[in-house]
Amino acid sequence: MKKLVVIGIALIALVGFTSALQAQSARDYISIVGSSTVYPFATVVAEQFGKTSGFKTPTIESTGSGGGLKLFCAGVGVEHPDITNASRRIKKSEFDTCQQNGVKDIIEVKIGYDGIVMANSKKSAPMKLTRKDIFMALAKDVPDPSGAEKLVPNPYKTWKDVNPDLPDKKIVVLGPPPTSGTRDAFVELAMEGGAKKFDYVKNLDKKMFKATAHTIREDGAYVEAGENDNLIVQKLEKDPDALGIFGFSFLDQNADKIQGSFVDGVAPTFDAIAAGDYPVSRPLYFYVKGAHVGSIPGIDAYLKEFTAEKAWGEDGYLSDKGLIPMPDEERKKFASDARSLNPLMLQ
Amino acid sequence: MNPTLLLMLLLGLSAAGYYFGRRRAFAVAGGPKKLSSLHSRPTYYGALTALWCGLPALFIFAGWLILEPNIITHLVVEQLPEEFQQLSENQLNLLLNDVRNLVHGNIVSGEISDAIRSAADRYRHLQAVSNVSLSVVAISVGVLGMVFLGSRIAPGLRARNQVERIIQYLLILCSSIAILTTIGIVLSVLYEALRFFKAIPFFGFLFGLEWSPQMAIRADQVGSSGAFGAVPVLTGTIMISAIAMCVSVPIGLMSAIYLSEYASSQFRAFAKPLMEILAGVPTVVYGFFAALTVAPFIRNLGGIFGFDVSSESALAAGLVMGIMIIPFVSSLSDDVINAVPQALRDGAYGLGATQSETIRQIVIPAALPGIVGGILLAVSRAIGETMIVVMAAGLSANLTANPLQAVTTVTVQIVTLLVGDQEFDSPKTLAAFALGLLLFVVTLCLNVIALHVVRKYREQYE
Amino acid sequence: MSDSTINAPASLAAMPSKRTIDVVNAGLAKRYRAEKRFRIYGVTAIILSLCFLTLLFVDIISKGYTAFWQTKVRIDVHLDPEVLQGENLQTADYPGLVKKSIRNLFPDVQGRKDRRLLNGIVSSGAAFQIRDLVTANPDRIGSTVQLWVPADDDVDMLMKGHMPRDVPEDERRLNDKQLAWIDQLQREGRLQKTFNRILFTVGDSREPELAGIMGAVMGSVYTLLITLVLSFPIGVATAVYLEEFAPKNPWTDLVEVNINNLAAVPSIVFGLLGLAVFLNFFGLPRSAPLVGGLVLTLMTLPTIIIASRAALKAVPPSVREAALGIGASKTQMVTHHVLPLALPGMLTGTIIGMAQALGETAPLLMIGMVAFIVDIPGGFTDPSTVLPVQIYLWADSPERAFVEKTSAAIMVLLAFLMTMNALAVFLRKRFERRW
Repeated sequence: MKKLVVIGIALIALVGFTSALQAQSARDYISIVGSSTVYPFATVVAEQFGKTSGFKTPTIESTGSGGGLKLFCAGVGVEHPDITNASRRIKKSEFDTCQQNGVKDIIEVKIGYDGIVMANSKKSAPMKLTRKDIFMALAKDVPDPSGAEKLVPNPYKTWKDVNPDLPDKKIVVLGPPPTSGTRDAFVELAMEGGAKKFDYVKNLDKKMFKATAHTIREDGAYVEAGENDNLIVQKLEKDPDALGIFGFSFLDQNADKIQGSFVDGVAPTFDAIAAGDYPVSRPLYFYVKGAHVGSIPGIDAYLKEFTAEKAWGEDGYLSDKGLIPMPDEERKKFASDARSLNPLMLQ
Repeated sequence: MNPTLLLMLLLGLSAAGYYFGRRRAFAVAGGPKKLSSLHSRPTYYGALTALWCGLPALFIFAGWLILEPNIITHLVVEQLPEEFQQLSENQLNLLLNDVRNLVHGNIVSGEISDAIRSAADRYRHLQAVSNVSLSVVAISVGVLGMVFLGSRIAPGLRARNQVERIIQYLLILCSSIAILTTIGIVLSVLYEALRFFKAIPFFGFLFGLEWSPQMAIRADQVGSSGAFGAVPVLTGTIMISAIAMCVSVPIGLMSAIYLSEYASSQFRAFAKPLMEILAGVPTVVYGFFAALTVAPFIRNLGGIFGFDVSSESALAAGLVMGIMIIPFVSSLSDDVINAVPQALRDGAYGLGATQSETIRQIVIPAALPGIVGGILLAVSRAIGETMIVVMAAGLSANLTANPLQAVTTVTVQIVTLLVGDQEFDSPKTLAAFALGLLLFVVTLCLNVIALHVVRKYREQYE
Repeated sequence: MSDSTINAPASLAAMPSKRTIDVVNAGLAKRYRAEKRFRIYGVTAIILSLCFLTLLFVDIISKGYTAFWQTKVRIDVHLDPEVLQGENLQTADYPGLVKKSIRNLFPDVQGRKDRRLLNGIVSSGAAFQIRDLVTANPDRIGSTVQLWVPADDDVDMLMKGHMPRDVPEDERRLNDKQLAWIDQLQREGRLQKTFNRILFTVGDSREPELAGIMGAVMGSVYTLLITLVLSFPIGVATAVYLEEFAPKNPWTDLVEVNINNLAAVPSIVFGLLGLAVFLNFFGLPRSAPLVGGLVLTLMTLPTIIIASRAALKAVPPSVREAALGIGASKTQMVTHHVLPLALPGMLTGTIIGMAQALGETAPLLMIGMVAFIVDIPGGFTDPSTVLPVQIYLWADSPERAFVEKTSAAIMVLLAFLMTMNALAVFLRKRFERRW
């Protein structure tokens, strides 16, 4: 018995050992890395692609946009990924790194929009916010409430302090950490829009203005809650006074537990975001390595699957998962760019 | 021949070497009755033969397999048509991927040109040749080793000493892996950490009291605040670990004592593995448990007594983490306590001590080095834990000593910074490496202190 | 023990005026109470930890047990020879066949939007099920087959009671029309809950009703095999060397401190190391269980080494001296006497180390194992993921149906852990002894 176990373990070790030595094998599947926000959409396409095309299903890693682009730009060759998903556009510095490492042709594909919603538990009343309210409630420094033209550390404790029309509840907002693209987009779209409502702040020099609009308070009213949106939803359920910031698809799936807050009078619904009425939504992208098309099997077919109307169209299966489609014009442009492998130019 | 098969064959050969060597030893000694004329016992002659037979062949085997793909690739590339040879290294690499896919019978991309097809044929051919020659070389080396040693077996051959020396080298090799790991970790963290310190002053990082990595993610944005002071992050780590230890050490130690000293052996056989499951429950589960069950409970409890408890509290994370590391303390201590010689206990009983007095004054001190080892492991695990804190204590770096407030830990910051959406060479991401290095240095200092303390109080019985 | 205490001969140091026995008796009640208290502490500690365990189990099982059942819909599919012509059996319009058969069930549903909603009752996996059926039995083309196909995850959630019916229409994933259709299906006996075989036989999927954990289980098996095969022997060998052979000098101290320190290195840093060494330097493939196993080996080694050293320290010196005294060499003393005695403790360390390795996600992130992988890995270098990663990814998915799947995956992981532990516990019991 004991000997059998030993022999068994030795055999396993053998197989592992030899496969380790012979690991330089070929790759016949697409390797995708990148943003955790694009992950739920890219995986749906990959699965469809794998089941219908005859190619192997791509592997999709959830590494974050920055880590994804870092891996993507590391070079050309089988050991480097073919596609990276990003919840923001590629940066100039990253593009340059790519070029330096021989990743010359990069095809940019914008896939649609992701609405960023603020929501609270159904147990309390829906919030009707303006971007100004959001800015005043969450910024680190806000214009002096007394009316003097200077910035003071945020004094507001309750929503009523911010705006007398709002309920008298403590400000508690659960949201993503500063490393997150969701946070970045939220700050830019919601807070900056709010900050512009103050003429004096708007007239600050650009740098000061951005610093004011983009810095979120750190005194506990804004809780950095990590990137697990399901957890935020469940925490909201436990704490009816709190608001959460996350992607639209989580609101869509949990409509019986939580409700989206109105922003500037518009509720975060699929149609309102798609029509561009809801102010807080951001584009999602993926980037393809041109040199790998034709060398790694199936990349062009994957591009075709992703840019097909049945995937990212108005009634496509991606919209079922909560991706907000681009307008027809834009879709056509990106689809043709993707299919003709038009490389991205960044100045 | 298939490499796995060959490897098995080599092992078989070496087993044959063992029996051959042993037989030779018997023969040299002149029969089982006269074994005393040998320097070592016959099994050592066998083992030495097996080692001589197996080790060189295995080295050749491993080296061959590591070099083989490169050499074959090189030979294949040489034969490729001119236009392919002009390609840059990267593109050649992709081309070769097609060749290998073809060789392995995988799906290939699009149309296959004749040149690639012939390259694949050549690749396959070379691989076959290489496999055959490897088999021939490895097996003959094995047989040669066996024959060579077989011829040297004589009563005076110091087989045991030689085998033991080889074993000792192997042991040293194994223990050097830990050193290599450390070097690897330092090297893989150091470079990026140094880049971080180019952007952020070193002392500002070390002694800064504010941690707020709110920097711009994109180039067209202007950075808001960016403060990289590691102190609040470190204190957060220490506080959560301390809370966890306050839970796990008493519970773990008392459980260990009860299990090894009082409980019946059936109960022990049943309870100990059950408790060990606690260490294996995925941390995501603990995270949800802490965030959705424990944290609201503490908040409501605090509300009753009039404390202002944050919805994300260090206490919730620490308590749950303490539960997770109970088995580290309990199981390891239990084994060690169990190993304390019964004679010590009998001595104490003989002097009239009660069972608990024996345990407190005799057994625990005797088992202390092992118990401390277990506790050290538990502390380490608490410091290195991530998910629970991410979910239950959040990411806000408050410099506070109040366990009812939200804090963050080094590991949480490392993970969120590394998987964030910001570009990888911004100070924000690099801060993760600096934090990793800092934690490494801090725990190193703690360990050095612990080593000296333990050594001072260590008692050896018998 | 009390008897021996009372009958103990009076100590010489006793006070002459008071007999020792009186001193002893005076304190006896107090000491017994202390004894009792001590025992109660022990029992409480055990009960507490077992309570935590039960609490966790109840929490997981109550959320996840429903995942082992799955709602299926019976549809009658006409395998239309027009659609399934000769060559293109792989790429024929199977979704079309499914849609047609659903429409036949509800002939009076009109309008594009309603039909879309109607199609949404059945999982998109139904089309692939028909495809597999047709590819396996091409002779059935032209006939009408009765098939139980998985229902959509929303229907499944409704049937299991995870989706409330009584909330306003716009707060539900299913509207009133869909509810009516589902009720009709149920009346006709076309809905049933069966054992969820899909969960245990396929890899990951983004459709909860088609998602399985087999891929992750196999990934975990391959990864942990590598980890176990490497970390146990290396860990034990290191511990033996440090404890029994190494000269006591600053170098050994350095190694010792170093190992203790490695135990406290956050696991994600091991991932960084793996990325730098195994992927970039040795050129091993990304997302491979082989690399995952190597990284986890480095991570669990300190645990195993520290536990093994503690176990070796606990072997009484008399055993060593006796062995050396009858002429054993140092190696013989260790392998024949010390190692067998220390083995239970070493196995404990291995159990805990492997448990940690089985539950770890962070180090695998950097080496590409936190990924969506559909195909079940067939070897040590195939791309794969592991159970805790699968749990983590599912826990982060928006679809409600993944909640129960997450808990089910956790149960599978715990079962995996318990099987693994049972083996080690069995071995540990065989070696355990007390002297």
